[in-house]
Amino acid sequence: MDLMEYKAQELFHKFGMRCNSGITVDSLEELEDKKNEIVYPAVVKAQVKIGGRGKAGGIKFADNYDEARNAAKAILGMDIKGHTVRKLLLCSKKEVAREFYLSVMLDRGTKCPVFIFSPEGGMDIELLAKEQPEKIFKTVITPGFGAPAYVANYFASKAELDKALTKELGDMIGKLYNLFTTYNCLLCEINPLAIDTDGHIIALDGKVSIDDSAIVKLPDIAESEKNATVDPLVKEAADFNFLYIPCDNSGDIAVVSNGSGMIMSCMDHIAKHGMTVRAALDLGGGATAERIKEAVRIILADPAIHYLFINIFGGITRCSEVALGIKYAIEQYNITKPIVVRFEGTNKEIALETIASLDRVIYADGLISGVEELVKLKKAGEKK
Amino acid sequence: MSILIDENTKLIIQGITGREGTFHCEQMLQYGTNVVAGVTPGKGGQEVLGVPVYNTVREAVEATGANASVIFVPALYTASGVYEALDAGLKTIMTIAEHVPVHDMMGVYHAARVKGARVIGPNSFGVISPGKTKAGFMAHRIFTPGSVGIMSRSATNCYETVFMMTNAGIGQSTCVGVGGDMIPGSTFTDLLPLFEADPETKAIVIIGEIGGSEEELAAQYIKEHVTKPVVALIAGKNAPKGKSMGHAGAIVAADGTGSAENKEKALREAGVYIAETTTHIVEILKTLDL
Repeated sequence: MDLMEYKAQELFHKFGMRCNSGITVDSLEELEDKKNEIVYPAVVKAQVKIGGRGKAGGIKFADNYDEARNAAKAILGMDIKGHTVRKLLLCSKKEVAREFYLSVMLDRGTKCPVFIFSPEGGMDIELLAKEQPEKIFKTVITPGFGAPAYVANYFASKAELDKALTKELGDMIGKLYNLFTTYNCLLCEINPLAIDTDGHIIALDGKVSIDDSAIVKLPDIAESEKNATVDPLVKEAADFNFLYIPCDNSGDIAVVSNGSGMIMSCMDHIAKHGMTVRAALDLGGGATAERIKEAVRIILADPAIHYLFINIFGGITRCSEVALGIKYAIEQYNITKPIVVRFEGTNKEIALETIASLDRVIYADGLISGVEELVKLKKAGEKK
Repeated sequence: MSILIDENTKLIIQGITGREGTFHCEQMLQYGTNVVAGVTPGKGGQEVLGVPVYNTVREAVEATGANASVIFVPALYTASGVYEALDAGLKTIMTIAEHVPVHDMMGVYHAARVKGARVIGPNSFGVISPGKTKAGFMAHRIFTPGSVGIMSRSATNCYETVFMMTNAGIGQSTCVGVGGDMIPGSTFTDLLPLFEADPETKAIVIIGEIGGSEEELAAQYIKEHVTKPVVALIAGKNAPKGKSMGHAGAIVAADGTGSAENKEKALREAGVYIAETTTHIVEILKTLDL
C-alpha cells in the first residue's frame, strides 16, 4: 500500500530524519484556521496516491496567503487520473544546492533489501534508469544486520561528498533502513534528497509503500488508511472480506471466482474473445451462501456491468453454498442481469440442483464453455 | 519416487488443534498421510483424531522421528512456526497461510538456506504426491498418480489443470503449491533440480503468473540444466497494470517488469512449451511421450 506524501513525511520525522515539514488541510476553512503556520514561499501539493500530479496541475507555489488560498481552491476536489484530491500538504519551498535520489526497496530477485542511489536527483527515477543507467548505483544488502556503513561510503564516493556530508548521508541511510524494517516497507524513497543552502542533507520529498499483509501489525497506519479515499465498492467488498478489483472501464463483464489465479485465467479467456472485464471479485476460500449473496449484489451494483460470470473450482469453497447464495441474491435483490455459472469440485451436484430452477442463470460445464456463453449473450444483446 | 514428500514422510501438523488444522488433519489421514504428531503450545498431552499433540516441534520430533511439517497457524505466527521447525532440524516445511508479511518471509527464505531446508509457500495449498501422501489442503480427489510434476503459484489454476489432466488419464508425480506471494520459500528454480532428478517425473508443468522474475530465472535454469520437457502457462496477461490481483506477488510494474510477455519470451527461448490456457497445457502433455 502506497502511503500519501504527508504520511511518509510524518514517518520520516518519527524516525529522526532531517526532512521538510508542513501542514495538511482538507478544506479552505481548515486552511484559514492554520494560516499562521504556513511558511512562505510555500508549495501547495495535492495528496493523491498516483504519480504525475505536478503535470496535472496538482502542485502550485504561493508567496502569500492569497496565493496559497487560490492554489488550494484550484487543487482541492481536482481529479488526477481518477483520484479526487481531498487533502493538501503545504510545505515551505526550500532552496537547494544539490539534489540526489535515495531509496531502499525489497528486491524480489535476490529476496534482499536493495539500496538505490543517484547523484542526479529530483527527476523520475524510472526515466533516469532508462536514459542514463550509468548514473544509478545499487547495492543489495544482507537482511537482518542493519544498514552496513559501506553503503553510505559507496554512494558518497559516487556523489563526491566530503567527510561531514558522508557522515550525514550514513545517518540518513541508517534511519531510512530502520523505517524500512520497522514498518515492513516494500519501498522507502527520498526524491529529492538534497543538500540545502545551509549545507546539510535533508529529505525533501518521500514515498513509502507498506506491505499490505503487515498493516495489521501497524495500528497507526491501519487507522490513517481507514479514512483514505477508496472506491466505495472496493470498501464494501472489503467489509465482507472480499477483494473487489476494478479493471477496465470500457468493459461490461464482471467475473467472480474463488481465487486470484482463476480470476486471471478467466480474464485471459474473455480477452481472447475480444471482450473486456470491467471488474472482478475474489471470494477467497470458504464463502457461505449469505456472503455469496452480498458478493453478487456488490459486483452487479455497477450499472455498466451487463454480464456476470461466476467460475468456481471448489476445494474449501463449496459449490452448493455458492449456488444458494446466487439464488438468494436473485430472489432478494431482484437481479435481472444474466449470470453464467460454472461449478467444479466440492458439492457440485447439489449446486446444479439449486440453480436448475433459476431462469436468469446459464450453466456452463467448464471455463471455456462459460466464456462461450458470454459471447452468445453479448451477441444477443447487441442485436437488441 | 516423487519429490519433497512420499510414503516415507512422517508429518507434523503445527496448529493441529485449530479449526483448519483439525479439519485438514482429518482430510490428510483419510488420504493416507502418515501424520505422526501435532504441535500446539500449551496443549501437549492431548490427542486430535488419535494423533498425539506436543507443546513444541522439538518434543514432537524427539518422540516420533517426524521428518516434515505442515504449518496451519495464522499469518503473523507463520514465520515463528517455520523457525521452530528449522531449529528442530526439519528439512521439509510446508506453509499455508495467506497474508504472511513479506519481511517475515525475507528472513525465512535466507534462514532455510543456511539450514539446508526447503520451505514451501506461504499462500500455498501445500504439496501432494498423488497416491502416496499429501501435506496441505488441496482437494485431493482430483489428483491421480503419474509422471507429470507440477509447480504452481495459483491453487485454482493448478486444480483446473490437474482436473483436466486426470480426466485425460495423465497422472502427476508431485504437485507443489509454490504460492502466490512476493517471496516464496522455494522458487521454481529451487524445485526444478528435484523434478529433473526424479526418475518418476517425465515432464514438468510450471503454472506461473504475472509479477516478479521467477519464471525468467526458471527459464535460465531450464536452458542450462533441464533435459525433461517443460510446459508453462503464465496467467494474468489481461490483468490491469499496477494493481494487485489478490496474490501479493501478481503485480506488473509500470515499466513492464513482471509482464507475461517477458516471461513467455524467456521461457520460449529456453525451449519450454508455452500453453495459452489450462486446457492447452493438457493438449500439449498429450503430445508428449509420458
